[in-house]
Amino acid sequence: MTHWMHTPSAQALGLTLFHFLWEGAAIAAVLALALATLKSSRARYAAACVALAAMPLVCGMTFERVLPRQTLPAGPLPRAIAPPPLGSDSPALHRGLQASDVLPYVVPIWLTGVLLLHARTLAGWAATRRLQRNGVCAPPARWQQRLGQLAAGVRLSKPVVLLESCRVDVPLVAGYLRPVILVPLDLLSGLPAGQVEAILLHELAHIRRRDYLINLLQAVVENLLFYHPAVWWVSGVIRAEREHCCDDLAVAVQGNAFEYASALTALETRRGVAEPALAATGGDLMKRIRRLLNRPEPRHTAFTPALAAGIVILTAAAALTAWQPKPQDQPPAAQQKQGDVLPKKLIAVGADPYRKWLNEDVAYIITDEERAAFKKLQTDEEHEHFIEQFWLRRDPTPGTAENEFKEEHYRRIAYTVAHFTPASGLPGWKTDRGRVYITYGPPDEIESHPNGNAAHAFPYEQWMYKLIAGVGTNVIVEFDDPNRNGEYHMTADASAQRASVWMDTVKRGPLNRKVRALGTVADDGTVRLQVPEPVMKEVAIGQNVSVDTGSGVVAGHVFRIAPEVQNGTVGVSVTLNAPLPAGAAAKGVDAAIDIENVPDTVYVGRPVNALANSDGTIFKIEPDGKHAVRVPVHFGRASVNQIEVVTGLVPGDRVILSDMSAYANYERIELK
Amino acid sequence: MQELPRPTDAELDILTVLWSRGPATVRDVHETISARRPAQYTTILKLMQIMADKGLLLRDETQRAHIYSAARPREWTQSQLAGDLLQRAFGGSARSLLMGALSARKASRKELDEMRRMLDEYEKGAK
Repeated sequence: MTHWMHTPSAQALGLTLFHFLWEGAAIAAVLALALATLKSSRARYAAACVALAAMPLVCGMTFERVLPRQTLPAGPLPRAIAPPPLGSDSPALHRGLQASDVLPYVVPIWLTGVLLLHARTLAGWAATRRLQRNGVCAPPARWQQRLGQLAAGVRLSKPVVLLESCRVDVPLVAGYLRPVILVPLDLLSGLPAGQVEAILLHELAHIRRRDYLINLLQAVVENLLFYHPAVWWVSGVIRAEREHCCDDLAVAVQGNAFEYASALTALETRRGVAEPALAATGGDLMKRIRRLLNRPEPRHTAFTPALAAGIVILTAAAALTAWQPKPQDQPPAAQQKQGDVLPKKLIAVGADPYRKWLNEDVAYIITDEERAAFKKLQTDEEHEHFIEQFWLRRDPTPGTAENEFKEEHYRRIAYTVAHFTPASGLPGWKTDRGRVYITYGPPDEIESHPNGNAAHAFPYEQWMYKLIAGVGTNVIVEFDDPNRNGEYHMTADASAQRASVWMDTVKRGPLNRKVRALGTVADDGTVRLQVPEPVMKEVAIGQNVSVDTGSGVVAGHVFRIAPEVQNGTVGVSVTLNAPLPAGAAAKGVDAAIDIENVPDTVYVGRPVNALANSDGTIFKIEPDGKHAVRVPVHFGRASVNQIEVVTGLVPGDRVILSDMSAYANYERIELK
Repeated sequence: MQELPRPTDAELDILTVLWSRGPATVRDVHETISARRPAQYTTILKLMQIMADKGLLLRDETQRAHIYSAARPREWTQSQLAGDLLQRAFGGSARSLLMGALSARKASRKELDEMRRMLDEYEKGAK
C-alpha cells in the first residue's frame, strides 16, 4: 500500500502540489492586479480564463522540473563508468526533502479529493443529460421559431432546441454539441414576450460564447487543484464576468438595458424568496442590475480586489513558511534546555555514526538531494528517522519485515570487502570494482585476465552487464591493474560509451590544465611518476602535483626530471608537502601535474580522439536535442579531461564526446 | 388530500405536457411528445388511462374525445421529486455545470425590494 507513495513520481507530485501553494497565490495576485485596472467585462473574463488555464500549466511545468531524471547523460563521463563519487557535495536542485515527513501523505489525500470531486462532477453531468430528456416538453411552435430568429440576431448558426421543463425553476443552458435551453413550465406564458426574449437572448449568448464547454473545463481544473482557495476565487471571477458578458450581449442586441434589468428582476421574483438566514446583501444579481442601470457600486464592493489580494498574500506567506528548512523548527534554546542529555549527544556526535553511514554505507546510492537533506538534520531522532525512511523508500516489498534492497546492499558491501581489497588494505568497497559492484550489482559475466595478454601488459578484467537501467544494454566495464598490486582501476571502454552517448556543453572560463601520470613511491618518500613523452615538453620543475594514493590526496611539486626517455615515458620525481599515509608507500599512485592555468578560454570535455592543436570534427547537438550534425573544429591546448576550442564552437553548444568513428561517413545523425 | 405515488419518468413527460398546455386530449399530448421523440399513440393512451386510475390525472368524459388534466399543480412535483436522486444531484453539482441567467443562489426579500426600487428610480429619472 505504501510503496507507490515513495516512487519518484509520487514524490514529485507531492512537491508539485506543495509548490502550487505559492504558485497559485502568485497567479491570483497577478490577476487581482490586472482586474484592478481592467474595466471591460470581456477583458476581465479573458484575464481570469488565462489565469485559471495557467494554474494547471504551471503545475505541469513544476512537475517536469522536480521529477528526478532517470537517464541524464550530462557531465563528461557516461554514467556507466561514473557512479557518484565519494562525498560528493553537489548542491540540491530543490529543497524538497525537508518536507519528507508530510509528502507521503499529501498525494493520497489529494488523489482521494480529486477522485471524489470528479465523481461528483460526473454524476452532475449525467444528471444534466437526464434533465434534457426527462420531464420536458416541446414549447408551442411559435416559440421555437422565435428562438431561431433571436439566434440569427446574435449570429449563432448552431441549431438550438427550446424545451419546457418541470424540473427547473430558472432558464438554463445545457449541452455543447446539441445545446438545449430549458425554461420553467410557466415562463413562456407567464412573462411579457419582450422580457422572455431578453432572457432567451442571455441564454443564446452563453451558447454562442461556448460557455458550457469552458465551464466543464473550469470544473476539471477546480477538481484537480481543489485545495487552493485561489483556484476557487479565480473560477468565481470567471463565472461572474461571464454573466456580465452575456448581459452586455443581450442588451446590445435588444437595445434596452432597463427592460432587460426588469426581466431579470421579474424572473428572480417569480422564483420565490430565499430563506433570510441564507441570504446576504450584495449578491451577484444585485451587482448585475446595478451594473446594467449604471448605478455606483457601494463602497465595500470596490474594496473586494484589495481583499482578494490580501487573501492571496496571506496564502503566499503561509506557503513560504511551510517551505522553511526544518532546523528552524528547533530553536537552539530548546536544545539547551535538555542539559542533562547533552553529554550523551556529544559522544554520539564525536563517534558520528551518521557520517559513516552517509560516506560509507550508502555513499554510492544516496541521491544528491537526499545527501543535502541528511546534512541539514540535527538530532539523533531526525537522523534515525531519515535512515529508516531512506531504506523504506527503496524497499521493493513494503509491508513485509524484510527489506530485500537493504539486505542486498549490505551483502554487496561485504562481498567487495572480501574480494576486492588490495594488499594496501584499501577497503574493497572503495576500489573501482567495489564501486561498480555496489552500484550495479554482480555483473552477468566476468572475463578475468590476471596475467594480462598480448594486447594488455597489465592484469585486467572485463565485466559485462546485460542491462543497467538508465545506462544501456550490454554495458562492458573494464578494469586494469597497472601496478600489479591487486588494486584494479576502471578504464574507459568503447562498449560502455556506445551504450550511452557521452555529451558535454562548451563552456567559457578558466581552464586548469593538468597532465596525468601513474607512478610509485620510492624508498626515500618521494614519488616517481612515469610521464608520457609527448606531454613532457610542458612539464617543468616546480610545478604543483596532487598525488592520489587511494587513501587520500597529498600535494607536492616536481623537483627532478630524468634526462632520458624509457619505454615512451620520462621519469619525473615529486617531493611531497606532507608525509604519505601509513601503508600507502607499497602501492602505486595516480598523480596530476598542474602544467598551466589558462585564465579565460573556451573549452569542452575532451572527445576520445581529440588531439591538442589539431583540426578535427565533432557532432554538435541541434536545438531540438534529437539530432546532431558534424562540424569542423580547431582544437587548442588540452588537459586530461578538457580541451580548448579555438574555432568551430561557441559556449553553450552541446556536443557528443563519445567515440564516433563508427559514424565516419555520416554528416548528421539522430539521437534515440 | 389523497397520497399519490411518485410519477415515473414516462408519466412525468405526460404531466409536463398537461401542465404546459393545460387540459388536453390524448391526441394533443401524443402530438406534443412525438414532436420531441418517437412515441406510439396507443402507448400514450394506455399510460394516461393508468394514470387516471391512479389518480394522477383527471378525466373529463363529457365530450366524445376525453379531456385529461393533471390532478395536482406543477408545484406538487417539486416536493414529490425532492427525494429523487436526479433532483438532488441537480441541486448541487449539476447546477454548477449549467449556464443560466440567474445564479443558483436565490435573492432575499430585501435584495428584491432593492432591485425594484432601483428600477423605479431609473424609470422616473428616464422620464
